[in-house]
Amino acid sequence: MNLDLTWRLLRGGGRKSLLGTWLTLGAVIVSTALLLFAVAANFAFAARGERGAWRNPVPVEEGPFKEGAVAVEAARFDFVGDQAITVVDLAALKAGAPAPPGMPRFPAPGEVWLSPALAELAERLPADQLAGRYPHPKGVLGDEALVHPGELVVVVGHEPDDPELTAARSDDWILGKGPARVASLAGTPSEDSEAYRALTLVASVLMVVPLLVFGGAAARLTVARRDQRLATLRLVGATPGQVVRMTVAEAVIVALAGALLGAAGYAAAAPLLARIPIAGGTWFVSDLFPHPLILAGVLVAVPLLVGLSAVVGLRRVVVSPLGVARRETPPAMRFVRVVALLAVLAVFPMLSRGSSVGIVAVAVGLAFLCLNVTGPWVVGLIGRVTARTARAPARLLAGRRLVDDPRAAWRTVSGVALTGFVAGFLGLLSPGLFADDEAPAQLRVSAPAAQAPEIAGQARDRLRAAGVTAEVKVTGESSDKVVVAALGSGADTATIDRARTALAGLVPGRTPTTADDDQRFGIQILADVRVGTIVVLSVSFLVAIASSGITAASSVLDRRQTYGLLRLAGTPLEVLDRARRAETLIPLTVMGGGAILVGVFCATPFMIGGMSTVGVITLAGCVVVGFAGVIGAGALSRPLLRSVTADPAPRPD
Amino acid sequence: MNDVLVGRALTKRFGQTVALGGVDIAVRGGEAVAIMGPSGSGKSTLLHCLAGIMRPDAGEVHLLGQRIDAMGERRRSALRRTRFGFVFQFGQLLPELPAEENVALPLMLGGVPRAQAVRQAREWFAPLGLHSMEGRRPGELSGGQAQRVAIARALVSKPAVVFADEPTGALDQQTGQDTMRLLVEATKHNAASLIVVTHDPNVAAWCDRTVEVRDGHLLAARGARA
Ligand SMILES: Nc1ncnc2c1ncn2[C@@H]1O[C@H](COP(=O)(O)OP(=O)(O)OP(=O)(O)O)[C@@H](O)[C@H]1O
Ligand SMILES: [Mg+2]
Repeated sequence: MNLDLTWRLLRGGGRKSLLGTWLTLGAVIVSTALLLFAVAANFAFAARGERGAWRNPVPVEEGPFKEGAVAVEAARFDFVGDQAITVVDLAALKAGAPAPPGMPRFPAPGEVWLSPALAELAERLPADQLAGRYPHPKGVLGDEALVHPGELVVVVGHEPDDPELTAARSDDWILGKGPARVASLAGTPSEDSEAYRALTLVASVLMVVPLLVFGGAAARLTVARRDQRLATLRLVGATPGQVVRMTVAEAVIVALAGALLGAAGYAAAAPLLARIPIAGGTWFVSDLFPHPLILAGVLVAVPLLVGLSAVVGLRRVVVSPLGVARRETPPAMRFVRVVALLAVLAVFPMLSRGSSVGIVAVAVGLAFLCLNVTGPWVVGLIGRVTARTARAPARLLAGRRLVDDPRAAWRTVSGVALTGFVAGFLGLLSPGLFADDEAPAQLRVSAPAAQAPEIAGQARDRLRAAGVTAEVKVTGESSDKVVVAALGSGADTATIDRARTALAGLVPGRTPTTADDDQRFGIQILADVRVGTIVVLSVSFLVAIASSGITAASSVLDRRQTYGLLRLAGTPLEVLDRARRAETLIPLTVMGGGAILVGVFCATPFMIGGMSTVGVITLAGCVVVGFAGVIGAGALSRPLLRSVTADPAPRPD
Repeated sequence: MNDVLVGRALTKRFGQTVALGGVDIAVRGGEAVAIMGPSGSGKSTLLHCLAGIMRPDAGEVHLLGQRIDAMGERRRSALRRTRFGFVFQFGQLLPELPAEENVALPLMLGGVPRAQAVRQAREWFAPLGLHSMEGRRPGELSGGQAQRVAIARALVSKPAVVFADEPTGALDQQTGQDTMRLLVEATKHNAASLIVVTHDPNVAAWCDRTVEVRDGHLLAARGARA
């Protein structure tokens, strides 16, 4: 019915509203692509967890009526250089045991299967450093067996009574899983993959909230472009229904186009995103593509949300056509907004590191949203103070403008302010580096006390045969003694790897490790938290700066007539520039600072130790990038201000 | 009294369109001049050239003996702020500023401290029939009231010449008449010259003389030249 008219409005709105449409389109493209990223990240980690599950055996409960065990499975880590190798030991209990993922059949006793990256590394390094540990590989594992493309995995077949699968292992889950009788090789996602999923969930909440705010602001931008025109239509006699349908149809059409383009953009960027290293490796690109249903969901949800926020934005026009045509003193914002934030913040001290991640994610999300709700109120307050104390015209203009439309001003800075929250939150959560003291190179492996001296003797022989000079001794008080092979301070990576290879299989099911190996996973998690922080902050800043650029441009367009006439009457453009800058920087300083504090406050319950240097540097970097970004984005609209005010006779349109 | 503003052989083209084809005009101190003519005849273009908003392709503009059309944009802009006042059809008031701050703005731009600027601005309200409108925002004023605030703003920094382009164009007959009377009286009272572009002969009747523009040329002068 109104589609024809809508189309004409869309096309016939002139340069100004066309520009508005482009801005909305751009905003929706960026939001959709980033939204897909935030959503896909969760599924990508889930996919990794699923694929790694088979190496994390679930012992079968055996009994007369239960299904019997078909195989024995154990997993542990070995190391080469600074990389971990997952070693999976398998033995069939019955004929026809199911093939593990990525293998054509169950490995026969004595067979060794390597992942592609491990096979390649074994070729490249001298045999006495790596290949000697896994002699005569039978085949290469398929991708289904691997968590990520570069993963180092080896599967070794055994007889069920092989010592590798009967000897007791270390009970530290980080070091591996002891032998278990399993009914299938399905397994279960490991604890650390679950931990990564939980952290990803929190990270995506931190990314999605500003995205939603940004998308909503963009949708309202279309409406702001149109409300003058629509108010006129209302005055001419269009029914509220017609006005709403027309605008919403327009917003939804633009949003749908933007969502499709955004999805295409994400697909194009996925191979690049797949190179972000997390948990020791880059990604299978296919992991980064969300399920088609999820994709369809996003493609439907984005236009719907944009349409919805267009309706909300239109309420004013529909309720009172004069309300928009004539600008009046806006009703003051309610203090309730602040109460909401305080109420949510009051919950945080009750949370602790032990709280379930779901609850924490919800609480952080709520605090975030409340910050967003409080923003306009505080901006209004800042505006009143600024206007009252202003001496120069630029400040006065800025202050009055903040009071007049605190929501618009908040939209300009909200992204960066909310990023301040993220930075404050993560800044406190980024732990410092482990103390990096030079430990003497030595390999340690625990052994049953009774056999320790004998094992030490074997170790001496093996190391001598391999040409590695080392001093081997037995330490430890408990029932498990530790055999230590001290390699001397001159040992380099190659020497250590030769020693590892020589000592492989010395104690069945146990890996000789260096002090660095023992910390490897802790270091890995820290590195991942840092990568994650950088990703989340980059996304937030991208959104924040895009949104402040878009709102700055749209505010110039909205006020082009007034600006033009002021310029005719001799107002220096510098005053207008200064006013526009103050209009952004004053709320940015107050709100950005406030948001960082709230973020820090929300993070205190989960803090590990004191605030780290890395955290402080991250925070300071964010403040600098935030201010520079917003000023830069605002400066981009300066030529626009010049061009729209250059026309000597601005006409209302 | 001597001529305050003089335009000589002003020419302006927009592509093929000749908006001004060599116009000579002189305005004396305290004089009110109406510019009339059909739509598209070049009235606004003439006003913009005289006010230093637009540069003529040829010809000269002198303010109090000083040539202004050759000045750079920055100096012309400063000149417009200090020596000229402007009243447009509508939309010239900043919607978020209260009326008194709209009027005080040119003073503040000129470096007058805020409190003094606002005090000076307030003095204009009563004479222009704007009692107790000081704190209202433009959206809360009627069209005629908003134009009177604009008049106060045009005059507050004691300009030599006030330019008005269809200042009553958006007002009804009666309000237009009242506004025009206030505009002429207030400019005379401040010893400023006034140049008004208008379509309305009743509005033009308030001025000392009327010049007619046709296709970029002036027709013979009409009305009393004081
Ligand atoms: N920026 C411009 N670009 C191109 N042509 C222009 C421009 N400004 C004015 N003109 C043309 O110059 C001529 C004179 O325009 P001007 O605005 O001076 O007319 P006017 O007498 O003020 O008309 P009106 O009474 O309708 O306001 C017109 O033909 C107009 O189309
Ligand atoms: Mg005109």
